[in-house]
Amino acid sequence: MTAPNQNSGSAASTVPASAAASTATSASVVELPLTQFRAQPVSLKVNGQEVGPLQVPSGLMMIDLLHEYLHLTGSRLGCGQGVCHACVVILDKPDGTSEEIRTCITGANFFDGKSIRTIEGHAQRDEQGEVVALSPIQQKFLEHFSFQCGYCTPGFVNAATVLIERLKLHPVARDQVEQTITEALNDHICRCTGYVRYYEAVKEVVLTMPGLVKDAA
Amino acid sequence: MTILSLTSQSAQTSRIRLNLPKLRSLVLVLSVGALAACGQHHDDTPAAQTTASATSMPADLESAAAEQLARGRYLVKAADCAACHTSADGAPFAGGPKLSSPFGTFYGTNITPDRDHGIGNWSAGDFYKALHDGMTPDGPLYPAMPYTSYRQISHADSDAMYAWLMAQKPAAVPNHQPELSFPFNMRFAVRFWNMLFLKDGLPDASKGQSPEGTSSGASADWNRGRYLVSALGHCAECHTPRGKFGELDNALPLGGGALGRVAAPDITPQGLAARGWTATDLQTFFATGIAPQGSAFSEMYPVVHLSSQYLSHDDLRAMSTYLLGDPPPAAQPLQSRSSASADTAQLAAGRNVYLAVCAGCHGRDGEGKPHVAVPMHGNSTVRQSDPHNLIVAMLDGIDAQDFPGLERMQEMPGFAGQLSDAELAQLASYLRATWGGQPGDVTAEAVKALR
Repeated sequence: MTAPNQNSGSAASTVPASAAASTATSASVVELPLTQFRAQPVSLKVNGQEVGPLQVPSGLMMIDLLHEYLHLTGSRLGCGQGVCHACVVILDKPDGTSEEIRTCITGANFFDGKSIRTIEGHAQRDEQGEVVALSPIQQKFLEHFSFQCGYCTPGFVNAATVLIERLKLHPVARDQVEQTITEALNDHICRCTGYVRYYEAVKEVVLTMPGLVKDAA
Repeated sequence: MTILSLTSQSAQTSRIRLNLPKLRSLVLVLSVGALAACGQHHDDTPAAQTTASATSMPADLESAAAEQLARGRYLVKAADCAACHTSADGAPFAGGPKLSSPFGTFYGTNITPDRDHGIGNWSAGDFYKALHDGMTPDGPLYPAMPYTSYRQISHADSDAMYAWLMAQKPAAVPNHQPELSFPFNMRFAVRFWNMLFLKDGLPDASKGQSPEGTSSGASADWNRGRYLVSALGHCAECHTPRGKFGELDNALPLGGGALGRVAAPDITPQGLAARGWTATDLQTFFATGIAPQGSAFSEMYPVVHLSSQYLSHDDLRAMSTYLLGDPPPAAQPLQSRSSASADTAQLAAGRNVYLAVCAGCHGRDGEGKPHVAVPMHGNSTVRQSDPHNLIVAMLDGIDAQDFPGLERMQEMPGFAGQLSDAELAQLASYLRATWGGQPGDVTAEAVKALR
């Protein structure tokens, strides 16, 4: 969608002559610096595997790189403007912490040299690549019937996983759990309105997984 | 509430009949006092005009009072009283908003008709004295209250504002004392400040022109705009640089001020024209908060939200006429700087940062996205010669904002934690050189200094 279609000869030949002429004229008259497309090398780690260097057009959004270059189609393009958070992936930072990042509004070149996890990277797989066990949060989302259409689910899985990883490093008091979950998932939009079941599933994981909650001290 | 509202003007005496006789006499005593105070100064106020026939024409009184209240409501909006006197989670005009300054922190006061905490015991004369001289029955105000500008408000307008404020619901909310360092905590010293710096008005930044065939000096629009901008709107309080003692600099009226984290830009005719502002765009900006040059943010956002969006078309046209001058200078087209003049490698690096974290919302070619983010191409902040505000916006981000009508812009995240000083400097340089007509000369040190 945002991938440029520059090399398509057939597309170029169907452009009316007048339009092609005006494009040529305007290009020769005004040329703002550095607004043309150019290919850029991008290397990154995705779900633990090194990828690249890939030659991607500058300005390509990360969601398109995942879909079109890496064929990882689990991340969802929702609003395309950074509101719904369906497209978030997990960015693993060098200090061992993780955060969500919206791939529909973040350029692929931003991820050069970085390490991310997508929805495809949560479950345990065997040597043939078949899923053998879901991650705890994936499992609880199923058990709680948290989602209906499932379009927002990759984003919710990533958000909840980031929350759990944060709580492992910085546990919260028991009376703060509900507030913490609400704040962590607040930006994610679910048009089937499955919020309560998402919320209950995350709460169960937070309360049952050891070390996420500070017991009354 | 009704009782208190009656203290203001005899114009409302018709309502007294609904009240107990005891209250009625109290109210009458107070309103006579208030009227005496107004009458001394101005006999042409609507209230004063109707006083003579107070007993014989209650219907006229009622309509005059209603008219004065409506005018007062409009003037209170034009003077943007709510910006400092209404907090986001508090009762209207009960005070609270914080105003930081180099001298310490001030808190907007309670100006509801509450007798203990508000201005319920003030007469219309007291109110005028507060606006005009910064003097209240309890002592001098700090010049955080813009009486330096409000002193140009006419007595009749002050009375109308007073009448409307007195008709609002009293709120028993105590005032928060200012937190000031020595010597600014010595309130009596404000009297000396007033002696030195309280002047009747700044020089005009723009020129008016007398309409053809007259010699009146300036058009009606320019004069009305001057009153709206200088007196009610108190634009100069933020947009004029201040001296060592917090006084407005007479030599640079509306030349841009730097009281807060985000500097108030130069809004002289030359300053506005250099950033591409036309009279039409200014009116659009005041009415809706958004123009082709960008959206109101930081402290200008509440100005649009609470004040300028409510002003009439005529008044907005008058304001832009005064700000730009009569006739206005031509808006300057965006200069395109060739990439040869700037460091091409730095610009390419800046372009990469832009594509990585900005283009998703502001567009690959800086064209913006409707209801998401404003264009960067020709943006007023990008076109400012000082990159200060551009850097601050990139570091701190901008909250999601609702604008008049159905327009809103998404939250812009701050990039202080995402991008390094060098990356932000490259980005700012790229934006300036590409879409601002400014040199791409932002340094990492300049970014670091603003973190």
